[in-house]
Amino acid sequence: MSQLVDITVTVNGEKRHVSVQPGMSALSMLRDKLDLTGAKLVCGEGECGACTVIVDGTSVNSCLMYAVELDGREVATVEGLQKSEKLDPVQQAFVDKGAIQCGYCTPGMVMQTTHLLAKNIKLTEEQIRRGLEGNVCRCTGYTKIFEAVQQAAEAQGD
Amino acid sequence: MMIEYKNYLVPGSVAEATEALAQGNATIVAGGTDLMVQTGASGRGTDTTLINVRRIGDLRGVTLDGGRVTIGALTTVTDILGDSVVAETAPLLAATADRFASNQIRNMATIGGNICNASPAGDMIIPLMVLEADVELSSWRDGAVQTRTVALNEFFTGPGKTVKADDELLTSLSFNRPAEGFVGQFGKTGPRPALEISMVSVGIGGVQENGGLANARVVYGAVAPTPIRAIKTEAALEGTSLDPASIQAILDVADSEVNPISDVRASDWYRRHLVRVMTEEVLQNVATG
Amino acid sequence: MSDVIEKTTLIGTRVTKPDAPDKSNGRTRYINDMVLPRMLIAKIKRSDRAHAKILSIDTSKAAAVPGVQAIVTADDTPMVGVGVTKDNPPLKKDIVRSYRDELVAVAGETEEAVDKAIALIEVEYEDLPTMFDPIAALEDGAMQLHDDKPGNISLAYQTLHGDIKQAEVDSDHVLDEVYNVHYVTHVCMGPGCVVADFDSRGKLTMYTQTQYPYNYKMDLAPALGMHPGDIRVIQPPVGGAFGSKLDVYPFEPIAVFLAKKTRRPVKLFFSREEEFEASPTRQPARFHIRAGVKKDGTLTFRDVDAILNNGSHTSWGATTPFVMMRTFTGHFRVPDVEFRSRAAYTNMPYAGSFRGYGNVQATYVTATVMDKLAEAIGMDPISFRLKNAQKAGEVTPQGSRLEECLLGECIETASEKTNFLEKYNAFKAEQDTPGRYKKGIGIATSFHNAGGAKIHKSDGCGTVIMLDDYARATVITGASEIGQGIDAVLTQIVGEELGIPVEDITLVNNDSAIGPWDVGVHASRTTFIAGNSAKRAARKARDKILDAAAKRSNVSADDLDLRGGSVVQNDNGVPVIKIDSMLRKMHFAGEDAELVITHDYYEPPSEPEGDNHVGDMSAAYSHGAYVAEVTVDTWTGVVKVDKMTAAQDVGRVVNELGIEGQMEGGIAFGIGYGLTEEMIIEDGKVKNPNFRDYKVMTAPETPEMEFHFIENDDPDGPFGAKGIAELPTIIPAPAIANAVYNAIGIRFNNPPLTPEKVARAIVDKRAAREAAE
Repeated sequence: MSQLVDITVTVNGEKRHVSVQPGMSALSMLRDKLDLTGAKLVCGEGECGACTVIVDGTSVNSCLMYAVELDGREVATVEGLQKSEKLDPVQQAFVDKGAIQCGYCTPGMVMQTTHLLAKNIKLTEEQIRRGLEGNVCRCTGYTKIFEAVQQAAEAQGD
Repeated sequence: MMIEYKNYLVPGSVAEATEALAQGNATIVAGGTDLMVQTGASGRGTDTTLINVRRIGDLRGVTLDGGRVTIGALTTVTDILGDSVVAETAPLLAATADRFASNQIRNMATIGGNICNASPAGDMIIPLMVLEADVELSSWRDGAVQTRTVALNEFFTGPGKTVKADDELLTSLSFNRPAEGFVGQFGKTGPRPALEISMVSVGIGGVQENGGLANARVVYGAVAPTPIRAIKTEAALEGTSLDPASIQAILDVADSEVNPISDVRASDWYRRHLVRVMTEEVLQNVATG
Repeated sequence: MSDVIEKTTLIGTRVTKPDAPDKSNGRTRYINDMVLPRMLIAKIKRSDRAHAKILSIDTSKAAAVPGVQAIVTADDTPMVGVGVTKDNPPLKKDIVRSYRDELVAVAGETEEAVDKAIALIEVEYEDLPTMFDPIAALEDGAMQLHDDKPGNISLAYQTLHGDIKQAEVDSDHVLDEVYNVHYVTHVCMGPGCVVADFDSRGKLTMYTQTQYPYNYKMDLAPALGMHPGDIRVIQPPVGGAFGSKLDVYPFEPIAVFLAKKTRRPVKLFFSREEEFEASPTRQPARFHIRAGVKKDGTLTFRDVDAILNNGSHTSWGATTPFVMMRTFTGHFRVPDVEFRSRAAYTNMPYAGSFRGYGNVQATYVTATVMDKLAEAIGMDPISFRLKNAQKAGEVTPQGSRLEECLLGECIETASEKTNFLEKYNAFKAEQDTPGRYKKGIGIATSFHNAGGAKIHKSDGCGTVIMLDDYARATVITGASEIGQGIDAVLTQIVGEELGIPVEDITLVNNDSAIGPWDVGVHASRTTFIAGNSAKRAARKARDKILDAAAKRSNVSADDLDLRGGSVVQNDNGVPVIKIDSMLRKMHFAGEDAELVITHDYYEPPSEPEGDNHVGDMSAAYSHGAYVAEVTVDTWTGVVKVDKMTAAQDVGRVVNELGIEGQMEGGIAFGIGYGLTEEMIIEDGKVKNPNFRDYKVMTAPETPEMEFHFIENDDPDGPFGAKGIAELPTIIPAPAIANAVYNAIGIRFNNPPLTPEKVARAIVDKRAAREAAE
């Protein structure tokens, strides 16, 4: 039986105290301990990006990250993006451009897009494609997702 | 399946980490990108102490000192991709980093972890072997941290196996800044730019001279149990002016040095074929400058 | 009241999906996210053998794991089969016939406890000989896999029209070839998951990913020993379906057995590996086709013999010949046609339904054969196709009435917009010149049902519409939303009839206790059938409101219209009364009070197939012609799709945003089928059950796409619309293969055209040429 480890992690701006098993993934912690089910378990091996969250300003596959590694860190999940009654511009762009069908990949796509735009607001088409190469979508064929990223970039550029 | 570790430690220094490792029965986690996947199905690591080395200070970053580049083991692949010292001294390394997995994985994966994972395909290992890097291994002996240096060429013993002892921690790697006129290229193929487990990867570097490469280094991944230096191919390259005919002769030598297997990703035939075409591509680029 | 209200339309506009905002910010709770009070987690122990006798199953160690609440095997559950031919008992007894066979299921408090327990289950097997090849399974004296299925035949189909022998005599050229199409799988982002929950009266609620909630009850109940009426089906949001959930699969009754035993809700879900291993696949097939043509380009006959690998048990895959034959016999004018198929039991995974349903497989063959026949007689791919394209009014040998047939127009459009022949000839001329990268252009076409498929007693859909006092509408439909966007389409259709904005319309469609019957989401039927049902129900509501308004204002209801939230005068748009005011007047009218609640059940005007599989079984058909432009790396064999141009007959675009999304997504499936997706199965075991080695299309591989929607207004479709979303999965793969042929002069009868396969073919061709010299 493994000991539980107490960690303190700031999630979407809020300090949370959580007890986790050492072997637990960050994804499981977010979903099962904090009820933040936006990030999804799809492949469990870092090949699809559906679990993408932002840790200390950098996007990661939370299915591969150990929960204990979040101690003292800041995590941003899709649930924390919206800061007013209006959707966050990235979220709004995904809605507007029809980039959401079943929506299962959407939280990961939105978080990865948020990360990409934070690093570089002037993304070329090629950079968008490469930037999302770790995010799989089975429904949309990606084209409208690229358009959403472009709209979000323009909105944030204003 | 979640692994049930007996204990969890998060050392803050190399001393603390190596002292803990000296107790034995430990599983090291750095970026976690390999560990989570590899342990899940196999149950490997159950009842061991999970040692998180990510919080050890001073093990992340790239420095240049007197012609020697040192990269801390916790430097991420994204760090390497954007680092100015790397860009200046070893752009081959950054170019390889750009073909590594995905942005999210690059953000998490450490160079130390990638090396210790010792995949026969091991993307980042290929250019490091071209650059003839050494790794520094630290351990706790006689009440203090001891280090030893191992050439990367001699580090791997089999798929997932290295000469690193269980009580050692890989703390950094280093290589000499390449000479003036050095060019290097990394090749990997597939329908996707990066998110492919390499069927074959190739790294070639050398100093451009007389229409060819001097002091050439040729490294292949995924064609043997470990990444390999193709010594005979290097010899064939040495002093050879590159033209279609001489390139073909060099490809024949490369073919003779590799021993790829068939697996779910590719047959041995195709891997051999890729060794030829990718080596040809890299050599053509080098020949034309 | 004030200004005149102009007539505008919602049809053809770009409407965002009503559920998109919640999906964009993580609010949506998918079935995989569900938690019910006191819910248990359950998993399945599957076979470790492809074919073996089960000597013993020991669950004692598993039962001792703390947190385990129940374990079930075939011994304590009814042995009633599920699946299309009811040959699939949820838990297997005495024999396992494939690696996915379910042996034991465990329910426990946590996933960790259940995983631990599963690992402690001990099964003793006695190996039996294995049989993976359907051809071997069909041979005389082959080992019988099911006692009640002589000759190992699961399902066989046959349709015969005309005189093949004579047609062959009349042909100037006959092609005789074999094609093998492969196993691919849906790869829904949301893995398989079900929650079974009994209430205190013993009535069952299934939270399920099913795509056919009503007949599902009928199919599930016998396996549970229950009455279908006692099963409530609730459909939470799902992470994709694509046809994978149109049957009852063992994991769902298994969850029920555990829920019954524990008297607690049970959530059973698949790991990703299990999803690859245990989810139904697309139906693979071996086609032997003989096809003839006259030297003037007239097609003479097609004779197709298909052998299907049925796998260990039967699901919809074995019925795909029903659709395959439609394309073999009815796509392009071919007077004499024969099709025969047999699905043979083996120890392989079994196939289910998958977007495109048999037509993906058949079109790969027909579109490649069309190109080959054209070449054999020296005609270009466009002229040859135009010559044999049917015209409006023609009826295919199987009785599909092509009331309007836009095949010719699709071909011409796709050809013209891509400058096809100029490029085709130019690339062909470059085939043997030196150069690493070769470009190619290829065309493929197909047709598919676009107004449902009359395969059940009813192909209908019911709708109930309620308007409240504020002119907000609730549309209760039997049609399921699985991410495909029927929610937006139905709000547009209803909004169009009622003159209210889509934002004022709420769709309810996920609870069988509330919604009326629908046969299911499949066969490209939902826009057409659910759309017509909603349109008719909305029209009844409209009529009620206009009648009430007409009575009040002493005019005829024909002189009134609903626009922009108001009742208006039809001819000049002058508002008479706001809709919400009218509704309140109707509501509070004393003895004559009424609420506007209407309903409709729409049965499409199609007919079931009769003898020899003849029948006009869809209410509408649709044609498409797609052109693929590729670049082949002749060194590595990597094929890159640079552009996909699609000309498709869609009736009328309802949601321009939605239709594009469905096309783009469908094309991604088609590209995967043609180039990168392949289940690698060795000795019955899936060797690549993960995203790393099963390659779906990723962002950087996305080609440029250009769509030309031909809108001819289907006479029976709602506002002229009909189904569109299967053709984009069907047509791309052979278009790509034809383009690769144009680039490098090599044909591939067996997709996918993986880099290794293409590289090897190039090397072999070069070696053969050098040997000849």
